Amino acid sequence: MSPQKASTKAQTARKAALKGTQGQKVKKIRTTSAFRLPKTLRLARKPKYERKAAPRFATLDQYSVLKQPLNTETAMKKIEDDNTLVFLVDVRANKRHIKDAVKKLYDVDAAKINTLIRPDGIKKAYIRLPADVDALDVANKIGFI
Amino acid sequence: MIAKVKVANLREKSQAELTQTLDTYKRELMDLKVQQVAGAAAAKSSKIRDVRRNVARVLTVLTQQARSDVRGQYAGKKYIPKDLRAKKTRALRRALTKNELSRKTLRQQKKEDNFPIREFAIKA
Repeated sequence: MSPQKASTKAQTARKAALKGTQGQKVKKIRTTSAFRLPKTLRLARKPKYERKAAPRFATLDQYSVLKQPLNTETAMKKIEDDNTLVFLVDVRANKRHIKDAVKKLYDVDAAKINTLIRPDGIKKAYIRLPADVDALDVANKIGFI
Repeated sequence: MIAKVKVANLREKSQAELTQTLDTYKRELMDLKVQQVAGAAAAKSSKIRDVRRNVARVLTVLTQQARSDVRGQYAGKKYIPKDLRAKKTRALRRALTKNELSRKTLRQQKKEDNFPIREFAIKA
């Protein structure tokens, strides 16, 4: 045997003696005792079909929000004295809805809105108009005076 | 006078035009309701009814158009939206299809081919 072959033979023998011939299992080094959730691949959704064929049109649009104005004696008093309009409103509407609806339908800004739910379940909205707009004029324009 | 809108006329319109018509009818409805509060004649109640039905007609045509468009999009595809599939009943949807019911094993097919049910009649 050549000297190189003899030395490599010796080295492989040394390796086999120290480390074994089968190959070693690589053990991952854990630095904490807790096993945390590993980060896995998260794919985005790619549906094969829409669940709903056509999206539903908005049911609470500005026409549904304001139901009718009130022209009771107290409501008339509010129009003249406090510059507010009193409306019956859909129960699901909130003050933001009401403000938007009044803006879209009658082109009037609302200074502030107070709402309450009447004992018969209908929502009433007191819509205060800014000082530069006259509630009586707006009521005439709407047509319920 | 509030006339009943003709659905045939509505079907010719585009989606944008239909939404505009819808808007005008809803406005009309609103005005009528206000007039009712202000204490108008009794003719208003029949008008209100007609306008409400017109709104319903426009909405119906709108949804019908939208759904038929979607059907066209999914025509020929394997999976279509569930609300466009046949409703039937839950059990019927899960039942075997006609094709699946009619399937036979080769063995049975051969038996039927080679030994069909014979019908005999006695000559009078």
